[in-house]
Amino acid sequence: MKEFKVIIMGFGAVGQGVAEAIALKKEMIQKDYGYNLKIVAAADSSTSAICIEGLDENTLVKTKKETGKLADYPEYGSNLSGLQVLDSVDYDCLIESTPTNIDDGEPGKSLTLKAFNQGKDVVTSNKGYLALNFKEIIDAAQENNVNFKYEATVGGSMPIINFVKDTLSSCKIYSVIGILNGTTNYILSRMTSEGSSYQNILRESQELGIAETDPTNDVEGIDAACKTVILANSLLNIPATYDDVEVEGISNITSQAIDLAKKDGYLIKLIAEVLPNNLKVSPRLVKKGSSYDVNGTLNMANVKTDLAGDVSVSGFGAGSLETASAIITDLISILKNKK
Amino acid sequence: MRIDLVLELMDVPGQLVSVLEPISGLGANLVTVIHKRDVKNENGLIPVQLTLEGEKSNLNQVIKRFNELGVSILEMDGVIKKEKISTILIGHIIDRDIRDTMDRINQLDGVYVVGFDIQLDGEHKSSALINIEIDVDKKQIVFDRVEEIAKQKELLMINEV
Repeated sequence: MKEFKVIIMGFGAVGQGVAEAIALKKEMIQKDYGYNLKIVAAADSSTSAICIEGLDENTLVKTKKETGKLADYPEYGSNLSGLQVLDSVDYDCLIESTPTNIDDGEPGKSLTLKAFNQGKDVVTSNKGYLALNFKEIIDAAQENNVNFKYEATVGGSMPIINFVKDTLSSCKIYSVIGILNGTTNYILSRMTSEGSSYQNILRESQELGIAETDPTNDVEGIDAACKTVILANSLLNIPATYDDVEVEGISNITSQAIDLAKKDGYLIKLIAEVLPNNLKVSPRLVKKGSSYDVNGTLNMANVKTDLAGDVSVSGFGAGSLETASAIITDLISILKNKK
Repeated sequence: MRIDLVLELMDVPGQLVSVLEPISGLGANLVTVIHKRDVKNENGLIPVQLTLEGEKSNLNQVIKRFNELGVSILEMDGVIKKEKISTILIGHIIDRDIRDTMDRINQLDGVYVVGFDIQLDGEHKSSALINIEIDVDKKQIVFDRVEEIAKQKELLMINEV
């Protein structure tokens, strides 16, 4: 049986979700694709666990949850971190799930480029460095002749990048317009259903873990803008970076505005627009009952094409296993290519 | 010749009569009229379908008269003439000269503000919904104008997708 050895860099919600998903799917991958999928290293921000024979997925998650440090993994815990981990063990593919950083894209950018230079494939869920340096990263992958997959960067479990590239490959894509941030959609949905203020719902969302303690990235539209850049580059060949997106968040939306919209048959949603002459994230009015009428943490995207007309997709935009599903799908497509 | 029209009327007594009255006086004949009072659009207006017959010049007179009366013609011979769009503004809408905001939207050719609903929140920013009736294809012009006003007056604008 052929082996496929992966390193998971970043062991927060997404990294742990990937380990859990591998535990659930490795048999299927063995049976259907003929590869024995092994996690040979996993690293959090300062420590790691490394074993060329393969680490146990559930022990990784349990160790991280119980002690907060992968260094505490029985027998194979290590104080190596970051780039050092990539030199410490032989592997085939890096799963890069470190936190998004919109200032300089690190540590994801250096990890990804290093893996490319080592001739390894990379699957990422990290938006930051793609929003800042999309072309540089894609070019580097091509120069090193490796696979680079990033479905998990946009829309969590909602298929959009591979869906448009593979399934709609016969079509010219005119635009992609959608709801690309689950947290803001949750806040706006609850403001609509309950009539409460933005501040109240934000506080409750933070208590529920749906919004982060510092919610800026979500509520000010930064996260959606990163995704807008990734879709612009990957689906419409627009060589944009983060600074090209006009961004307005939802923190100024009043419950009165939502109420007025509702009376007139509309909902207010944070909408990302990817058009050749317009990259924008802003609160917009959408018709009740239209394809944009999705609630809670759901994401959606409407793709306008020449042959297929309008095609809409929807799915959960965040969540550990949901995002992991996109990463595992990317891994499988790399395995299919290897056959 | 014949034309088919779809008009929009308010649900108040005398509206239908005021529209039908000028027709014969201007040399046109009313062939059919369909007026269902229990079918209203989202703004509470009632669509009325008319078929008129007459010389072209007389029919044009009738259309002109409807325009003078301020009656909206939504469709003519199956072609949509008017559409409604909505926009929301959030900010110090009244203090930043609400009248000027309305005038500047109304100044656009074939564009009329037909509804305005505002909710105040004490000293805080207020929120307003503006319904605008426009000739078909004027949408972008209106949104550009509203955007220009919103930027100048530091208002948050929420337009339709």
